[in-house]
Order: sequence, then C-alpha cells, then structure tokens
Amino acid sequence: MKIELNSKVHQMQVERDPLNLGNLPSLDPPADGWPVVEAALIEHSEKKRIWRSTAASLALVATIVLVMGLTLRHPRLTELAPETPGLAQQAAPDAAPAGDEPAVESLIALSQRLEVQLRRIRSDAPLMSASSVVYQVELQDLVAQVDEELSVEPDSAELWGQRVNLLLDLPRLYRNELRRESARIASL
Amino acid sequence: MSQSPFEIELDDITLARARKGELSACETIFRKYQRPSYSVAYRICQCPELSQEVTQEAFITAFRRIRQFRGDAPFWGWLRKVVVNHTISALRRLPNRPDTEFQEYHAGTDAPQEHMGLAMDLSAALATLGAEDRAVVWLHDVEGYSHQEIGELFGKTESYSKTRLSRARGKLRELLEAPFQRESAGGVVV
Repeated sequence: MKIELNSKVHQMQVERDPLNLGNLPSLDPPADGWPVVEAALIEHSEKKRIWRSTAASLALVATIVLVMGLTLRHPRLTELAPETPGLAQQAAPDAAPAGDEPAVESLIALSQRLEVQLRRIRSDAPLMSASSVVYQVELQDLVAQVDEELSVEPDSAELWGQRVNLLLDLPRLYRNELRRESARIASL
Repeated sequence: MSQSPFEIELDDITLARARKGELSACETIFRKYQRPSYSVAYRICQCPELSQEVTQEAFITAFRRIRQFRGDAPFWGWLRKVVVNHTISALRRLPNRPDTEFQEYHAGTDAPQEHMGLAMDLSAALATLGAEDRAVVWLHDVEGYSHQEIGELFGKTESYSKTRLSRARGKLRELLEAPFQRESAGGVVV
C-alpha cells in the first residue's frame, strides 16, 4: 500500500517536473541585501510619519475653511450643511480621539455622504486641466492609502478624519474647475 | 511531490511584529526568505545584479504592504507572489536584455554533491532559454504554478503557458541530450 502510494507520488512528481529542475540548488545572492531594504523601510516610515503629522496639524484649519467655502459657494454641497452640524469639529482628527465611537460613526456617515455628493458633482464636472487631474489623482491615492490603513484600524477616528478631509478637498477641486469654466464661457 | 524552495513556515509572532513595522522582525523574515527569493529571480533573469535588485525591491514592497496579507494562506505563498511579480515586471522593463548569455554557476554550499554534475548541465541549459520560456518552465515545474496562473501573470491565456512550457521542455531535453549523443557517436562512452 505504502509502496503503491510512493510510486504514485513519484509519478506525479515526474509529470510535474520531468527534467528535475527542482533539484537545482538554491543560490546565494552576491551580497547581503538587507541594508538596502532596511534603509528604504526607514525612509518610508519617516515619510509616513511626516505626512501624518502634517495632515493632522492642517486638518482643523483646512476643514473649517473648506466647509465654509463649500457650503456657501457650491450649490450642490449646500445640501450637506443642515445634515452635518459641527462638521468642522468632527472631521478634525485632533477633535476626535481614537475609540470615541459616536465621533467615528458620524465621521463614517459624513464620509459616506461626501462620497455620494462627489459622485453627483463628478457627473456634472467639466473637463479638467492636466494639473487638476494630477492633483485629483494624488488626492485619490491618498484616500486609497487611508483606506488601506483603515482596513487594519477600522475604528480610528484620526483616519476617518483624514479621509473626510481628503474627500472635502476633491469638491474644492471641482469647484475651482467650474469657476474656471464659467470665466472662460463669460469671456467668449 | 518536491516542495517549492519558498515553503518555509513563519511563526505568527514574527509576522505580527513585522506588521507593526518592527525592523528586527522584518530582518528575520528577510534572512529566512532571501535565498529562495533570489534563486527564483536568478533562475528567471539569469543576471546576478538584476536578481539582487529585484529581490530587494520585492522585499521592500512586501514589507510596505504586509498589512494587506490576510493570513488565510501561508505567508511564503504571498511573498513568493510578490517576488515573482517583481521579477516578471523587471523582465518587461528590460525587453531587450540578452538572455542567452552563459552565467557562472553559484551553487549554495549545502547543495547535494551527487547532483552537482547534472545540476551544472541543467543550470547551463536553462540559461540558454529565452527569459519567458525560462519563467514559464521554472514557475510551472519548480514553483508549482498552474497554467492559468502563469497565463494571468503574463496577461495571456492558459494555452500560451502550455505552448511555452512544451517548447521550453523540448529545448531543454535537446540541450541535455546533445553532449551524450556527441560522445556516443565519437565512441567516447565507456
């Protein structure tokens, strides 16, 4: 029985690797690659740290300015205003410590509403200039990065705050494009 | 069935520490998997410098994205995928690399001595194949990739993988048998 099984395994092995390439030995790299990898990881974590602290310190100011600008000037986003009291405070990571469940929930709700608003705005948005497209892609990349971190820490108010702030930046971009487009049409 | 050289288990504690970004845990993982990673890259690229570069890039990517590893399959399988993807994209970046150049043979010190003669022949024969043929035959025969996986890796179909594999094996057989036939014809065989 055991011999039969061994012979079957051998047969499968021959079929899979008839030339016995699997018997070629493992190879040693010409040099130790760890110092390069280590340096890259240190640089990456340093960049991440700087980005986080910058985002956190700018968040409060940016949120207040953006929300005021959006609610007052953009017709689409005026719908948001009555639904989101204290928006600026909620979106600011400093104002919403991690583990504060109501704050996290309202930030999630706000993030969802912004996604819906963004979809509507995008469908009406004019063609964008190249520089705006680059900025838009960068913002979306940052949102994706935050999403990646949220998959590990889904209840982090700081991360949800960062997400909301980034989402608020996108409508501003579309608003600027709308303004530019209106100016262009008016000048014709 | 022979195992893929990558099949080295990793303990949960080291993995958890690496996910937190601890460099010492990352180094442990690097030391554990550096050799199989370099080997697969070298077997496909046949260039020590490029293979070293690809291995380092792959580990940097893996550590940056280690939080995306969900743990529902062995870690080595996930890491191998990252290394193979990097190797294939390195080949794509350098489409005109001369891939038929014979490379010096660097066997690991713990290689079984009885296989050395055969290994020299096989290794040299493998080096004469085109890069894509080498990748297909190595990934299928040694790493256990399916034709579907190989097809997807190259953005092609399963048939592409099957055709490449059959061609690569045929070429390897020819190369491995050729010296023996020459010796037989010359009456050298004792």
